[in-house]
Amino acid sequence: MWERFRIPIMLAPTLAVIVFLFIGGLGYGLLVSLGWQPRIGQTQLSLEAYRSILFSEQHGPTFWSGLWLTLWVSIASTFLAASLAIASALLLRQTFIGKRAATFLFQLNLPVPHIVAAIGMLFLFSQSGLLSRIGAQMGLFSSPGDFPILVKDKFGMGMIFSFVWKEVPFIGVIVLAILQSLGADYEDLARSLGANAWQRFRHVIIPLVLPGVLSASILVFAFTFGSFEVPAILGVRFPRTLPVTAVRFFRDPDLNARAEGMAISIVISGIVFVLVVFYMWFSRRTIRQD
Amino acid sequence: MTKSPESPTKRRDRVARVLHGLAVALLIFALLAPLFAFLINAFAFRWFYPQLIPSEFSLRAWQSIFGPNSKVVGALWSSAAIAIGVTISSVIIGLPAARALGLYSFKGKRIVEFLILSPTIVPGIAVAMGLNINFIRWGLAGSHFGVALVHLVPVMPYVVLTLSGVFANYNPEFEEQARSLGAGPIATFRYVTFPAVFPGIVVASLFAFLISWSQYILTFLIGGGRVVTMPILLFSTSAGGNEALTAAMSLVFIAPAVLFLVLSSRFLSGKSGAIGGFGKV
Amino acid sequence: MTQVNLRHLRKLYPGAQIAAVDDLSLEVPSGRLIAFLGPSGCGKTTTLKMIAGLIPPSGGEITFDGQDVSAVPAEKRGAVMVFQNYLLFPYMSIGDNVGFGLKMRGEDKAVIKKRVGEMLELVKLPDIASRRPTQLSGGQQQRVALARALITNPNVLLLDEPLSNLDAHLRDEMRELIVSIQRDLEVTTIFVTHDQEEAVLLADQVALMFDGELKQYAAPEEFYQRPVSERAARFFGGVNFIPAERKAEQILTPIGDFSFQAANRETAPTGKANLTIRPEQLKLNEDGAANTVSGKVRSRIYVGTYTRYKILIGEYEVEVIRTADMPGDINEGDEVRVTFPADRMWLVEGG
Repeated sequence: MWERFRIPIMLAPTLAVIVFLFIGGLGYGLLVSLGWQPRIGQTQLSLEAYRSILFSEQHGPTFWSGLWLTLWVSIASTFLAASLAIASALLLRQTFIGKRAATFLFQLNLPVPHIVAAIGMLFLFSQSGLLSRIGAQMGLFSSPGDFPILVKDKFGMGMIFSFVWKEVPFIGVIVLAILQSLGADYEDLARSLGANAWQRFRHVIIPLVLPGVLSASILVFAFTFGSFEVPAILGVRFPRTLPVTAVRFFRDPDLNARAEGMAISIVISGIVFVLVVFYMWFSRRTIRQD
Repeated sequence: MTKSPESPTKRRDRVARVLHGLAVALLIFALLAPLFAFLINAFAFRWFYPQLIPSEFSLRAWQSIFGPNSKVVGALWSSAAIAIGVTISSVIIGLPAARALGLYSFKGKRIVEFLILSPTIVPGIAVAMGLNINFIRWGLAGSHFGVALVHLVPVMPYVVLTLSGVFANYNPEFEEQARSLGAGPIATFRYVTFPAVFPGIVVASLFAFLISWSQYILTFLIGGGRVVTMPILLFSTSAGGNEALTAAMSLVFIAPAVLFLVLSSRFLSGKSGAIGGFGKV
Repeated sequence: MTQVNLRHLRKLYPGAQIAAVDDLSLEVPSGRLIAFLGPSGCGKTTTLKMIAGLIPPSGGEITFDGQDVSAVPAEKRGAVMVFQNYLLFPYMSIGDNVGFGLKMRGEDKAVIKKRVGEMLELVKLPDIASRRPTQLSGGQQQRVALARALITNPNVLLLDEPLSNLDAHLRDEMRELIVSIQRDLEVTTIFVTHDQEEAVLLADQVALMFDGELKQYAAPEEFYQRPVSERAARFFGGVNFIPAERKAEQILTPIGDFSFQAANRETAPTGKANLTIRPEQLKLNEDGAANTVSGKVRSRIYVGTYTRYKILIGEYEVEVIRTADMPGDINEGDEVRVTFPADRMWLVEGG
């Protein structure tokens, strides 16, 4: 009898988590950003928090500069990581001495958390970091101040380094998996039809790996856009990425600031969601047209 | 003895191979470089610019970490307890959903799939902030349980995605065969279903563990300073200027994660099941 | 040794317009080997699974020895199914596979080991208990699947397309094995197949199904001598159908009038129908026979063990198969006399 409810019952626990924690959290956060504070009797909804962060003289510049910075860092990181990942996968899939070791080492940073990656970038790229010292040994610099500012910089370079370092293996492993399971036969076929290496790359490999790369890139973009710890470690006071600003505001004892922090978070979620959906729709159309 | 001249194709191949080798070496070096930086820093005591190698090594940072006043051990326990709890519960919760998605089609399936995957494209900050207020009200804020609950949000999509990939390649007729031979539901699960999905469970557990183990902002917002996991501790230590301590702590922090990866790497070669799931996003 | 009875069995999948199995009633005598035969999609595997308890029926009842089993779950029913692709559990050894059913009953380990040995002997595969399924060939896997099913002394043995995955030579071996085991153990066996030759070779009775319905349930020879419809006849390779009208013991056709002396002819349709006769039964160039008409050989195909002729009689073409002809005996273009033996014809409703 309860055959018919079998599938809903199987889905229920997972959907409960998603609906109550995820959607519930988002929904309640949205209400708070709209001024909903029942405990102090505030049940009138208003867009004041949004107005304040977007347009006020006090917070507007913080928001907009933060938005451009966050967008720049996310898009640049995603694009660079995807490109380098494809290149890496092409390098690693050939047979060569030490391939197994190289492939193993390639994946080694997958379990390393982003916070550690960020700290690692500090150790490597700060003005008294490892790279600077190597350069000094080679006579390029005489003091730490000579080394360019690559981390804790205004352009988010340090963050980009950190994200790219982490995400190249992430996307790369996916590309490798696709190539190894599907690639060989198609390539052989193309070869026997006269396609040279570049043509095979363009007409066989890229179409084959693009869906997987696109999916992974979406995850990477969403993650980097909403990341807190990496900008917190590698960023500067101004401009600050949006997540960092959001958290600062949220932890302010002033309830208005809290609502504003919440509003920035909602805006972050909205931007990512819209961009991702648009990206997916657009890329599906392009892929289908191919 | 005369050597026959190398044909231009052979030379081109040789050059290509050398370049290839260099490129691979460069790639691996770039990926391992931070590790070297951590190792040197963790044991450095006096390390002045522009020395490449510290002039004085020391085990101070390590003594501090494993010493009596260390907060590291406590933070490790907190991280582990939460991560293990999240891993076990996410697999138990996600397994039936994955089975439903992998084996059956039904009305509204695409919406369900989209819902379950949506936490991957919506940053967790807004969710954690939204939950924070209610968690305080319900007494969940500042507790390990509350933090673990929040960790489920980013974890569930990956667990369900991985496991449903496994079920998509699974033949449920094996279960019918077992039942036909006299196996009840529990015996069927134990002898037929579980061995077949076990590799997927390992991979899903790996994802769940790593995501929870690495979490900072969710723990920060819900834990409210009372739940100190390794990322929380590491974050504040990194701002403290003690690079040796920061480096050593980082190494201690990533060790269990790397270990878990290495131990489960056997099951990752069949990853195409899980990866195939990603292609569906 | 269980008698199985199906009464008005029906299966309608949710959302489907047409029932997969509709109003199926038949009785399987205990200890017999019977076949469900039909094209793919005719509902035979669905019926098998309902008997096994793996699919719940939408209507009707199933009884074992008179007891209704619909409330009995599959794992307790004792109707063991052997699947088409054997489904040996890949993570267990052969011995563990075969002993699985006894293990589920909580049988003692020593007893299981002994019985496993016995069953493997029975299927002529001794000494492989420690191997793994992937190490076995298809034929061996099937025997193991059979041993695994039989070890629990099932009430009913259900085989889904047991011979389809085997090549011709293995098929003969397996056929003999199945028949001999079934006779020795006297276990009521139902198997499903789409191959009429297989059904005829193995089964005591054949249930022919089309589109979820039982069309004819009889001993194998019935399908050749007295098919119940044109479709049934065609399924068994019958190709000769000539519009006819039956008048008592005469069949009137456009190519001639024949006397009709087939056994049980009172059960044949009366009035307008199609005359049907098997290609093997038509005779050529017999002297002085009744029911003879003349025709012309249109084509001749020599297949080694038999020769197939297509002969034009008036406006109708019939196929004749003869096993003793050599090339040159009868040629294309020859005029021949075609005899329709009076006791070898039958009548089927149009379509």
